[in-house]
Amino acid sequence: MDYFVDLLIIGLSVGMVYALVALGISLIYSGLDIVHFAHGEIYMIGAFIGLMLFQRLALPYVPTLLLAIVLTGLLGVVLERLFYRRLTRTGGGYTVAGMGMIIAGFGMSIVLQNIAFLLWGAKPLPFPVPFGRPLEVGNLTLPMSYVWIVAAALVLMVGLNGVLKKTRIGLAMRAVAYNKDIAYLSGVNVPMMISLIFGVGCALGAAAGVLIGPINYVQVLMGIGVLIKAFAAAVVGGFGSLPGAILGGLLVGVVESLGAGFISGTYKDVYAFILLIVVLLLKPSGILGVEAKMKA
Amino acid sequence: MLEIKDLVGGYDSLQILNGASLKVGRGQIVALLGGNGTGKSTLLKATSGLLKPWSGSITFDGERIDGLRPDRIVRRGLVQVTQGKETFPGMTVEENLLLGAYVVAGRAERAASIERVYGYFPILKQKRNQLSGSLSGGQLQMVCIGRGLMSSPKMIMLDEPSAALAPQVVLDIFRTIHRISRDGMTVLLVEQNVRMALLLAEYGYVIKDGVMQIEGPAEQLFHDDNVRLSYLGGTVANREGQL
Repeated sequence: MDYFVDLLIIGLSVGMVYALVALGISLIYSGLDIVHFAHGEIYMIGAFIGLMLFQRLALPYVPTLLLAIVLTGLLGVVLERLFYRRLTRTGGGYTVAGMGMIIAGFGMSIVLQNIAFLLWGAKPLPFPVPFGRPLEVGNLTLPMSYVWIVAAALVLMVGLNGVLKKTRIGLAMRAVAYNKDIAYLSGVNVPMMISLIFGVGCALGAAAGVLIGPINYVQVLMGIGVLIKAFAAAVVGGFGSLPGAILGGLLVGVVESLGAGFISGTYKDVYAFILLIVVLLLKPSGILGVEAKMKA
Repeated sequence: MLEIKDLVGGYDSLQILNGASLKVGRGQIVALLGGNGTGKSTLLKATSGLLKPWSGSITFDGERIDGLRPDRIVRRGLVQVTQGKETFPGMTVEENLLLGAYVVAGRAERAASIERVYGYFPILKQKRNQLSGSLSGGQLQMVCIGRGLMSSPKMIMLDEPSAALAPQVVLDIFRTIHRISRDGMTVLLVEQNVRMALLLAEYGYVIKDGVMQIEGPAEQLFHDDNVRLSYLGGTVANREGQL
């Protein structure tokens, strides 16, 4: 029983990390109509930025996390303005530029990997954060790194929900995600909102990277695996649905952890995809997904 | 207030407007009439900034606005309400309306705007916390017009507010447009419901193949044989009904 609970806790905390990345992917998809295939690299760069802040500037962990989120968010805004915007049609359109966007995402992924390789080298770097003694709850022992992941991710998710539901900017972001023409005609500066959505999506990825750092090494190729898991999470939950991304992330994390613990650790990466296939067979739009809206 | 001169434009390589010109005076209701595919909506989109005009000029309140981004045009006080009753179905009625006041910075002004809109459409106040996806067609149209009014514009352009609505609902909507106009709003009304539009408007234009074909005071257009034959079924002789 304890073994089961341990696995569940590990699964939930890793699932939170997948959920954050999936949230970013879903947010960008709903706002820009693009599937951002370089999001794993954003996560990796966020982790490296966090590591640099933590080690070189010797910042405490919380400011490190916040600053890495902000810096990576800004990096995202720059990437959107310089590259992706050229592929979205000018004027009122901003609809899918189809394959061009997907290829651009893959290209961006390779470019970012190589930049990271030049800057930080190929060796996995440790991200040693002294979190202190594990938390004792009853007869459970929770390593503080897991507690941090869950707590920080929850704060970010609640914060994002608050911004989207309660603020004027959040209202405008939701409007842009649903119908850019009507958002425009309501006086929303649509290109700026799109940059903002992209930046927030990247910031969430960075948060995931900085949170996973202390329990994993930080390395150039860390993004690919997470991208695929987060993508599976987003599809399982319902692509483009933000609550779906969170639910999908947690499910993928838990299924993976339980599968690795009870069946075999060798096939750790397989369980997420078994889950994906089962969900797609039973409900192709994902658990919380609505029918794909028509993109004009 | 609004002057469009020799406007040429369209989608990609498809030219739809072939030099359309139109004038709307301050406080007027002007009707823009025409069948499907004559360029009515294209003209509105070019005016509101959703489409970039290819040539010609659009002057609003004394300043050129052609080629500006739509949100800039909204900030100058010219708002388009699109056809098709497009709302954000996942947002409540109130959120939909508040979005229309996005350019209004003050919380108190936004609250005043929303009360004004509820004054025109009391049913929306009752349904303020419902998702707009659950509304009827007429109520959706009210949300759209209300959203357009939320930024307190100087002029509003309505694209077929009567489309796909029951006759009684159309009458309600037109009565409200009349009230909005009486309260000082300048209105450009694009319609296929020619009779209703001409009853409401002071001046009218008939567009065909992207240029204005006929224009004149509404009274005169109503009795114009060409307009009658083309759009009024040919037999209507007298102005009946009072708004």
